[in-house]
Amino acid sequence: MKILLIGGGGREHAVAQALCKSAKEPKLYCFSDLVNPGINALVKKTRGEYYRGNINDSAAVVKAAKKSGADFVFVGPEEPNFHGVPDRLEKNGIACIGARRNVAELEMSKASMRDLQWKYKVPGRLWYKKFKTFEEAAPYIEEFADSVALKPARQAGGKGVKVIEDFQVYLQDDKRKVKREHAESIINEYMKGYDDIDYKLLIEERVWGPEYTVHCFTDGRTVLPMPAVQDNKHAFDGDLGLETGGMGSISCGMNLRWGKDDERAILTDGEYRKSVDIVNMMIEAIQTETKEKYHGIVAGQMMLTSVWGPTVIEMYSRLGDPEAGNVLAVLKTDLVEICEAIIGERLNTIKAEIDDRAVVVKAVCPEGYPNHRDVASGHKVAIKGKDDGILWASVDYSDKGIISGGSRVVECLGMGDSMPDASLKAEHLTQKVSLVDGWKLFHRADIGSEKSMHRRIALGNMAREIYQYREGKGLLGKRMIWIPGKGLVEVG
Amino acid sequence: MAGILGLYLFDSRWNAYNFGVFGLMALQHRGQETAGLELFGSNEGRKKITGKGLVEEVLKPSGGQGHICVGGVSPYPEENAEVLPIALSDKVSVAIDGKILAIDGYRWNRSLKYEDNLRNGFKVIAKGSCADMMKDFFSRCSGGFSYVSVNDRSEMIAGRGSLGVKPLVLGKMGFDGGIIASESCVMDIIGERVPISPAENIEPGEVRVFTPMSAHSERSSASKKRAYCSFEYVYLARPDSYINDVPVYRVRRSIGKKLAEEGPVDADVVIGVPETAIPFAMSYSNETGIPVEKGFELTGRRIRSAMKPNQMERLKGVQLKLNVISEAVKGKRVVLIDDSVVRGNTLANIVYLMKEKGAKEIHVRIGSPHIISHCPYGVEVPPEDELIGKHLSEAKIAEVVGADSFKYLSLDGFTEASGMNRGELCMGCFNCKYPEG
Repeated sequence: MKILLIGGGGREHAVAQALCKSAKEPKLYCFSDLVNPGINALVKKTRGEYYRGNINDSAAVVKAAKKSGADFVFVGPEEPNFHGVPDRLEKNGIACIGARRNVAELEMSKASMRDLQWKYKVPGRLWYKKFKTFEEAAPYIEEFADSVALKPARQAGGKGVKVIEDFQVYLQDDKRKVKREHAESIINEYMKGYDDIDYKLLIEERVWGPEYTVHCFTDGRTVLPMPAVQDNKHAFDGDLGLETGGMGSISCGMNLRWGKDDERAILTDGEYRKSVDIVNMMIEAIQTETKEKYHGIVAGQMMLTSVWGPTVIEMYSRLGDPEAGNVLAVLKTDLVEICEAIIGERLNTIKAEIDDRAVVVKAVCPEGYPNHRDVASGHKVAIKGKDDGILWASVDYSDKGIISGGSRVVECLGMGDSMPDASLKAEHLTQKVSLVDGWKLFHRADIGSEKSMHRRIALGNMAREIYQYREGKGLLGKRMIWIPGKGLVEVG
Repeated sequence: MAGILGLYLFDSRWNAYNFGVFGLMALQHRGQETAGLELFGSNEGRKKITGKGLVEEVLKPSGGQGHICVGGVSPYPEENAEVLPIALSDKVSVAIDGKILAIDGYRWNRSLKYEDNLRNGFKVIAKGSCADMMKDFFSRCSGGFSYVSVNDRSEMIAGRGSLGVKPLVLGKMGFDGGIIASESCVMDIIGERVPISPAENIEPGEVRVFTPMSAHSERSSASKKRAYCSFEYVYLARPDSYINDVPVYRVRRSIGKKLAEEGPVDADVVIGVPETAIPFAMSYSNETGIPVEKGFELTGRRIRSAMKPNQMERLKGVQLKLNVISEAVKGKRVVLIDDSVVRGNTLANIVYLMKEKGAKEIHVRIGSPHIISHCPYGVEVPPEDELIGKHLSEAKIAEVVGADSFKYLSLDGFTEASGMNRGELCMGCFNCKYPEG
């Protein structure tokens, strides 16, 4: 058996490992813009081949697939989905795990995703407004927008999102100014170069609560849910600082438990199940809307909010990065079998077996990430000893060695009976990584630590207390505003 | 003492000025004589605004531009201490709460003023202005202090001396920045409102470093010895703050409860001296069943009279702040609760005013042990010959202030109320025992 993997980041390294674990002993081929040393080693080991090229160029991907003679193609990142790579492969008779262009709309257009969610009345829907130009948005920001999230209307590699809490009226002028300027830069900078979408800017209500991602495999008929994983977006320890693509992720059991034999958890079982239902409803909605089958991975990037309980923040049309490391580390079922079942639309015959241990992934980045990538890139990376448990991410492997690409160089994966346990194991692995020229690396020591878990659980409890109270009163998801002189306005 | 603040907003589109102003207002109770704020990171260069008076008097609307700032409020008049933030060199500014008593590697010159010693020490030790040099300098300082320091390279470092005498916390503004402040109440006023622990306690000996590349924590001292200032819980801090992760309000409630246990009185009404002693009185009332009443009404602006630098000002403050509501006390036996007694004159004044309004009996209960000694860490305590508690017994003090009885909280009572171990607290002003610097 031969499999072609598209993409060369940490997520794809985790996928490559899971595929190569299969009893079917596939030959692994990879197509990506950079050479990932981890995937490269697996390609070598299974006597496959590594191709370099533009992963968004569907013709080039088809060519590589034909050359490799792959039984199926596994698409790692989201951009090939947005560029119709799966569609083109299937048209050429090549089976593919990856969302087709039309169903990947769920991730690509954050505006369409919300439209759909409201049209089909899927629970956990945030109040939003979409704009094509800054001129349209400006008066709105002036007059109505209080605490909001400003987002590029298109998935732009997770960049450009800004959450501004505008509650304190004495600081309102400063906050509105930044909101205005950021909205403008979303339209003029972050969305520049994306001409595949009408809307440019999305403004959503700001909510708070613990965030988590629920990944599901689907063949369009059945949904195979994976454990909830929590990413840590802030660059620095203690949830301080800039937003990143993710500095590390945690999981344990299905509902983010403290330990495998521990009752404490960030989510309840019910909340986890409800989140899976929401992802399921979103898949049905997009399939009804586009009349196309969804073959691949869908993920709900969720938050447990006081307004709704489980709430959709964004949708993914692929595995999250670094969350993929968590999911694939505990998935005991053969990934190749799952892929084949998706292609044959018989996912209902597969029972997912999940290891209930804790997994903590910590990303290691050169200083400069995320805002000064120029200085973070170009450094030679070294690992002391064996690289077991280390996923290679934003690096390029050539005769000059392994060179940093400006983002997370590796993801260190620890497993244990509890989160703090797994966190310590990941922490040990981070110590093995260094940059040869002495440029500093950083990572977050606090991910999965006791202190961090206490905070996450406390935050979840707080949101739960409020949403359950609202639920009891029949007010879940409803928002009521009394506008003096105008009357009662209800949203929800 | 002082209130100190540092803001580091990552995105230069933010202007830290107004955040700085309202942040300092939230620390106003820590110093009402002078205020100052210095802005960094703007294209127009640094800007420093300082002056005499309250924050709102010194820092006018739209006073500056910059995404990083350091500031402070101080209870010392301009003639006694430089207004915060202090220029440590022409490139580095610092706001300090407390006192640095020695600098390892520098010989303190007693003929120079405090700030000049800091500057000379910095020149000798740091030899430059980058974050690493600033860190090295502060790690060599000993005493009881917290600091926030910013340089002209957009680097900010903040930390607590290894004993942890003075408080310091870290708060966040979403993905946009970090806030360093003396007390956590600042985060409620200018920080993000995620409803769990608004601020993180900075540990003694911990240094928080902010640069354009990083925001992280380092440890400059591994010493486990702690000497948290007791007076923060009695009087200095705001009741809505957490000091060393302990809610101040909880300690003040416990103090009231302890007072009820240690100094029970047969009385008709409990009255707390505003503002600090109100939670003591409420809790004393809950514990004893004696109703609590509002005993005073304020004239003019709310000020902290005990922190006024001279006696006239203090008395003026007390008389304006504390007009007795006669209906609350007339013909009644009153338990009058105050947070502390230094010289006793303001207390005497209050007791006099209350008797004048018809109180039948007045039993004074104090929410802290007797103050008998100085504070080396910058809390203003007058010379020992002025301290009434050092020289007179409780019975004698009752006679002097004109009360029917007078009782302090015991040292053990205070320790228990704080919920901490005696070894963790500095109680130097109560027992003359000071942690080694």
